[in-house]
Amino acid sequence: MTGYCASRLVTGVLGWNGHCLRAPSTVPLILQIRNTFILQRRTPPGLTKKNKRPKLRSRHYVYDLVEDTNLRKQENLNVILTSYVQGLGVKGDRVSVKPKLAYEKLLLPGLAVYATRENVKMYEESVDKEEKTPAFSSASVERTVGILSRQILAVVMNLETEWTLQPWHLRISFRKAGFIVPEYAIELPEEPIKGPNLDLEGKEFKITVTINKSETVPVRCRIHHWSTNPGDRLPYVQDHWQQTAEPLFPDNQKSFQSDQ
Amino acid sequence: MASCAVNFMKLFNFKSYQLVTSNLTRVNINFIQVRDYAARRGTREKRLKLLRAKKNSKKPEEKTKGKKLKGITVQPVYPRIQEELKPSCIDDVVVTKYYRWKLYDFAEAIQCHRETHHPTVYNQPDSYVQAHIELDMTAAKKNRFVDNFSRLATVAHPFPMGDPRSVIVFCKTSELQNEAKEAGANLVGDSSLIREIEKGNVFIKDFDHVLAHPNVLPEMVSIRGLMRKTFPNARAGTLGVDLTSMIKRFRDGIRYSAQKDEHWQDFGLIKVNIGKLDMEIEHLQENLQNVLRDIHSVRPKRKGPFITKVLICSAPSVEKFKLNLAALLPELASDLEEASDSDEDEEDEGDMRKRKMKAISA
Repeated sequence: MTGYCASRLVTGVLGWNGHCLRAPSTVPLILQIRNTFILQRRTPPGLTKKNKRPKLRSRHYVYDLVEDTNLRKQENLNVILTSYVQGLGVKGDRVSVKPKLAYEKLLLPGLAVYATRENVKMYEESVDKEEKTPAFSSASVERTVGILSRQILAVVMNLETEWTLQPWHLRISFRKAGFIVPEYAIELPEEPIKGPNLDLEGKEFKITVTINKSETVPVRCRIHHWSTNPGDRLPYVQDHWQQTAEPLFPDNQKSFQSDQ
Repeated sequence: MASCAVNFMKLFNFKSYQLVTSNLTRVNINFIQVRDYAARRGTREKRLKLLRAKKNSKKPEEKTKGKKLKGITVQPVYPRIQEELKPSCIDDVVVTKYYRWKLYDFAEAIQCHRETHHPTVYNQPDSYVQAHIELDMTAAKKNRFVDNFSRLATVAHPFPMGDPRSVIVFCKTSELQNEAKEAGANLVGDSSLIREIEKGNVFIKDFDHVLAHPNVLPEMVSIRGLMRKTFPNARAGTLGVDLTSMIKRFRDGIRYSAQKDEHWQDFGLIKVNIGKLDMEIEHLQENLQNVLRDIHSVRPKRKGPFITKVLICSAPSVEKFKLNLAALLPELASDLEEASDSDEDEEDEGDMRKRKMKAISA
């Protein structure tokens, strides 16, 4: 059982000489909707002789709806990747994704093929081990690298107590910002950063984060002094990450700018 | 006679209609009163008012859950964050918003808070440790919800809460009175104290809690009217033999209240301070466990957990650490199973009764 959906489309209608026959107005655009409704007869038809059709009366044309196939849960499609895809896998990986994603993002651009028996032999089993070595250590690493490279980490340190910046200070700053970064993955700059020092307030320095002990990302950090006493606190800077900051180590200014 | 009838009709401006049936009998129905002059004073104003009221009152706005900001209704967000449905991460560097929240052990969570409250960072090592406890407020019946409740949980390791509570204790013998004083009661007395209250020298409402030993109860009846709800009773725990424990409970107990979300009634939240960050971790854990057990004691009799999530927070940090409930209170898990089993038994009994009733009535 099929249906029709009428939607309105604004068009004009031109005649043979190019003049407008009908002014641009709403013309009904009729699109076909494909669907399947599973029905069941309420009254079963009677028995028949061989090769004879049953005599259907009007009561036999009364149906009950058993299922609307549109309301079924979408089953995932199995596809085989033909090249590396971020967040899914490497060439030769069999992946189960939602149909819309599979059609639009994988099959259409040619990044994957359907997992039929023939394709499995051609694309999955025949892929060399060398080709299979991934560019990244896991499917989510590329995204993490991108996010960390754009991050400006706010490192809150005390205004009154003396401190020297340690990897655990950065670990807790990352945790507050929504990242779990272990201490062994954090590499501080060579020169120790000591405070409290208001000359360092809002200035930027770089640290290196190592993901899965393989990929490295430089992350920009800015120090913010915080006082326990609310009266001594520095004025709040709205959206501080949207403003450019001076480098903490002016000797490295050239490399800093080039990286930015 | 007919003319009389017609004159009568004209005089009072009645009009009648005659139904002519097939038998050619005439049946008068419905005297409709018709007036040719204008409506009497006040009627037109009334009519105008009604019209105006109809215009002004648009369709009763369906109580939209959202607030209106510049004409756009903003739907309130469901407060329960269902992060359990998200995948878990394998990497060592994790962007937490894409994944399931990390389950912390209690000690681990306190250590994390102590790191941020370190002298080199926030420098507030004695701030309060607060537990945010999320509840499923659905009651035993469908579409019914548990009411908001406020309770006092006994605490093994008291801490300064900032609201000192005053306790007045009534007991007879001097031994008991000494016991009460040592336990920390603000005012202790017996019949003489009751007389003072009757006179009006002592106001019972100055005190937060009223406790009593059963031996004074007959004399306390005289001031029952002064304290309606606060009259000592065993159910509330204000009447008892063991005065020290009662006093400690009411002075040092943790007061908490469960509030339902105004828009989403199945979501309940309790924010309760369980101690100070510089207390021993074991003490803090025991306090939290006592509070959770107290909450669990008032759970509705249905399947499914009552306490859905426990988060540990500590001002001024904005971090919330989700706790592993199974590790924190293993007995809760078994209690839930027992509750579900007993519910099934009750259902069977109910069915049996129904069947019996049907059999009897049939």
